[in-house]
Amino acid sequence: MHINEIRHRRNGLHCLDYTVVSLYGEGIGSMDLVSGYKGVVGLVFGNESSGSNEDSYVERLLDRISNGKLAEDRRNAMVELQSIVAESRAAQLAFGAMGFPVLMGVLKEERDDVEMVRGALETLVSALTPIDQGKSQKNEVEPALMNTDLLSREADNISLLLSLLAEDDFYVRYYTLQILTALLTNSPNRLQEAILTIPRGITRLMDMLMDREVIRNEALLLLTYLTREAEEIQKIVVFEGAFEKIFSIIKEEGGSDGGVVVQDCLELLNNLLRNNASNQILLRETMGFDPLLLILKLRGVTYSFTQQKADPGKEANRLTNKTTLVQKKMLDHLLMLGVESQWAPVAVRCSALRCIGDLICGHPRNLEALGSKILGEGLQEAALNSILRIILRTSSTQEFVAADYVFKSFCEKNADGQAMLASTLIPQPYSMTHAPLEEDVNMSFGRMLLQGLTLSESDGDIETCCSAASVLSHILKDNIQCKERVLRIELEAPMPSLGAPEPLMHRMVKYLALASSMKNRDGKSNASGNLYAQPIILKLLVTWLADCPNAVNCFLDSRPHLTYLIELVANESESVCTRGLAAVILGECVIYNTSPEAGKDAFSVVDMISQKIGLASYFLKFDEMQKTYLFASASAAQPRKSLTRSTAASMADIENVDENYLPDGKNDHPILSSIFDSLFVTLVKSLEADIREKIVDVYSHPKSKVAVVPAELEQKSGESEAEYIKRLKAFVEKQCTEIQDLLGRNAILAEDLAKSGGGSNSHSEQRVGGAADRVQVETLRRDLKETTQRLELLMAEKAKVESDASMYQNLASKIESDLKSLSDAYNSLEQANFHLENEVKALRDGGPSTFPDVKAIKAEAREEAQKESEAELNDLLVCLGQEQSKVEKLSARLLELGEDVDKLLEGIGDDVGLPEDSEEEDE
Amino acid sequence: MSYAYLFKYIIIGDTGVGKSCLLLQFTDKRFQPVHDLTIGVEFGARMITIDNKPIKLQIWDTAGQESFRSITRSYYRGAAGALLVYDITRRETFNHLASWLEDARQHANANMSIMLIGNKCDLAHRRAVSTEEGEQFAKEHGLIFMEASAKTAQNVEEAFIKTAATIYKKIQDGVFDVSNESYGIKVGYGGIPGPSGGRDGSSSQAGGCCG
Repeated sequence: MHINEIRHRRNGLHCLDYTVVSLYGEGIGSMDLVSGYKGVVGLVFGNESSGSNEDSYVERLLDRISNGKLAEDRRNAMVELQSIVAESRAAQLAFGAMGFPVLMGVLKEERDDVEMVRGALETLVSALTPIDQGKSQKNEVEPALMNTDLLSREADNISLLLSLLAEDDFYVRYYTLQILTALLTNSPNRLQEAILTIPRGITRLMDMLMDREVIRNEALLLLTYLTREAEEIQKIVVFEGAFEKIFSIIKEEGGSDGGVVVQDCLELLNNLLRNNASNQILLRETMGFDPLLLILKLRGVTYSFTQQKADPGKEANRLTNKTTLVQKKMLDHLLMLGVESQWAPVAVRCSALRCIGDLICGHPRNLEALGSKILGEGLQEAALNSILRIILRTSSTQEFVAADYVFKSFCEKNADGQAMLASTLIPQPYSMTHAPLEEDVNMSFGRMLLQGLTLSESDGDIETCCSAASVLSHILKDNIQCKERVLRIELEAPMPSLGAPEPLMHRMVKYLALASSMKNRDGKSNASGNLYAQPIILKLLVTWLADCPNAVNCFLDSRPHLTYLIELVANESESVCTRGLAAVILGECVIYNTSPEAGKDAFSVVDMISQKIGLASYFLKFDEMQKTYLFASASAAQPRKSLTRSTAASMADIENVDENYLPDGKNDHPILSSIFDSLFVTLVKSLEADIREKIVDVYSHPKSKVAVVPAELEQKSGESEAEYIKRLKAFVEKQCTEIQDLLGRNAILAEDLAKSGGGSNSHSEQRVGGAADRVQVETLRRDLKETTQRLELLMAEKAKVESDASMYQNLASKIESDLKSLSDAYNSLEQANFHLENEVKALRDGGPSTFPDVKAIKAEAREEAQKESEAELNDLLVCLGQEQSKVEKLSARLLELGEDVDKLLEGIGDDVGLPEDSEEEDE
Repeated sequence: MSYAYLFKYIIIGDTGVGKSCLLLQFTDKRFQPVHDLTIGVEFGARMITIDNKPIKLQIWDTAGQESFRSITRSYYRGAAGALLVYDITRRETFNHLASWLEDARQHANANMSIMLIGNKCDLAHRRAVSTEEGEQFAKEHGLIFMEASAKTAQNVEEAFIKTAATIYKKIQDGVFDVSNESYGIKVGYGGIPGPSGGRDGSSSQAGGCCG
């Protein structure tokens, strides 16, 4: 049958349904109206001849029921209808299309005719019960499902059915309950809503619990369906006294020795208590948990629901529940069941262990109680030791997970407990640690754990070691003292000749390598045993290194560790989680790294990551891991699967999961999902954020090789120019190489960025990667600018020095040219001198011939001049005489005139006065 | 855990009148100024003593919002007592009392004892309904009346205990068939001599036998 046809038919039926309902409102449809369906139904079943036969047959029967006059005939018709509907799918379909209004009419109008009512109900049961057709095709509509849908659509129908529960007739109540159960199975939500809106609906159902056995058992089933995930119904059921009734039924049925009825009771009880704080309070406040424990004391699969009690609810309420439960010696019973009862089925033991975990988790007093619990009568042993023994010995993954959960719960926020366990971790000589595991009940917890950690090496099987590693990681979690303490543990080499003892941590890394090599050797197909070995050890390391610089230091002490991790991250054949966790550890080596040692410091690790993996692809590992189903499911705090009959049965199957497990599949391996619990996932997520930040940080503030101290750029006093320049030059050179280095890094980053940009990887990754790069580029640019400025400064200085130099040079050349002109002048002087000397020489050579002439001339001239001067002297003397006489004459005359001649002539006597005299004389 | 009787109570009334706060004050003796809106119903329990007999009160605090009415109605039938609460500072909560009462009469058993409580009487300055009006309404409808404050705890104990005393009196007077649990009353084994229900507490059958 084709989809279209089905849809067509469905639509047709829906239309019919509405018509039917409206008809139903007016009373029972007459024959004519019923026959009106024929066309439609005929159309639907047109190509199915048998269908069409069934169709008209059902139609005829319905007609007889609704229009028949004889009671007997109508009853017969009902019986026939019931039997055909119970046998044929086609008849079920035909009945669904036409029959409901007719039968509901009978139920409503003919309550007195018990036989008719019974028949109608039985027919309804048949119409709602799927008929198993061997050849049924997948896409074929299941008529029974469709019928439940049609019937449950009207709240009035439900109301009518509920009212039938008050009938006296046993079968009426019985069939009604069956109908309701069928309705609940197929459309639970609609029915839950309907029953909630019907006043006293639930009350009526609850009353059925007090009915005779068959009815009661039906009602139990019905209530179990009804209370599933319907908190308000759960409360009402409890209001109606469900707890008392359930416990009384359990008691009646023989407690935990009882059979399926007790199991149904417990399932209902589980429904009522699970995630329902209000009901938990009520049980605790009114009846107490005694009745539960009573059940628990006796053995059986059935106790398992008690674990739900510690399940989510209000925090305070949960604590109270735990307190009360432990006060009631719940712990003892559970330990008895989980640890000491080796005869109990694995599923029961596991549930008991998980319940112990729930009980102690976050409850100090219960933690203490478990910590100091001693088990056994003759040979006594601490409870925790016994549980550890289970972890180390079990071959059941389920049991391992459950027992591991006890330790996880025990160590969570329990520093004292962790310290107590860690304090017993004292290495023993090699021979001692390899004594057989089983026997010594007095063996300390620590010795047993260390033995577990180291034992398996010899048999080349690391499963036990992984189990122990898991426990160790719980002990170390968030506890720095324990981390430090365990760091100091050194193991002797298997053979003393093989060298010095190695730290426990190094041994763990070795196992990690061993696990991957084993996996590679075995090939992927047979990876089951070691599938979780790597994650467990990786988790241990992640937990250990978190917030513990010493652990990081210890880890990096061995250089190959880093290389190995990088290989692990880059190895495509490893699982996404393995690579992701390895990346987390690498990141921890960066963020918790306090080592100043080159090659071990944070910067070198980042450098190595960036060079060997590339930052973008490194961060991609985180993203990939986050996207895995394990992480996604752990983040959404998953409620534990309810332990119902079916899940309890399937628990055994989990043991086979290993074989079917696909590494990339959606079905999570129980161990893996227990490793990736929400706490660990949160830790990894917060680590990731820190790692991203720190790596950006490391890149933004590269450890500068050149310390820039502005004061040092100044010329030191007493430093000569040359020294100063030399020093500056060296400085600039260093900066140059550093810039070069940074440029190189920048190029790597850019390339990385470009690569990641090209890939189809997540955008967020690119953004973050890009941002990191941008930050770094920005930093580099700033550095570059700074350096450029510094360079410019130096250039200016250099220019100044140069100009000074050239000035001095000019000066020098001027002086030189002066000197040159001087020397030239000197030369020319010398030359002149030489010339003169020559001349003198020449003159001296020709001297004797010329000198007499000169002398003669001289003498001649002198003679001539002598003569001349003598003559002039004479003239002068004459003149003088004349003058003298003139003066005498004049003086006399003056004397006569009464003039004092002497006085008058007083000023005359010198040369100057002479001319005056002469002038006066002239007058 | 032993008790002579167990009474089931419900608290009803408009949203925001302080039903949950009354319950919290009664069970935990504390007041929470800001309380989340109740969804569906919440449960609380406390032991009291009447006539020297230990009596366990199981109290279901219902959501006042209209949308939860169909759910809360399921609790009426099985309750022995009801606290019908209004807010003296909000007139409309008083005006709605009639419809609450009608609901109760329709779905609850006829012998349910109803206590009318005018809550928030500490806010006298904002009073919108007088004490007399409350008294009058209670008298007309045959209810016990009391003004109370969940904040100051005034009359809170009294309200719950007085209701219990009324129910107890009705039992003494033979109004109830205590073997029928649908009245919201259960006989324990702590106070009343009767056939032993066994060490594990009183099962319903044991209670039934006592009647």
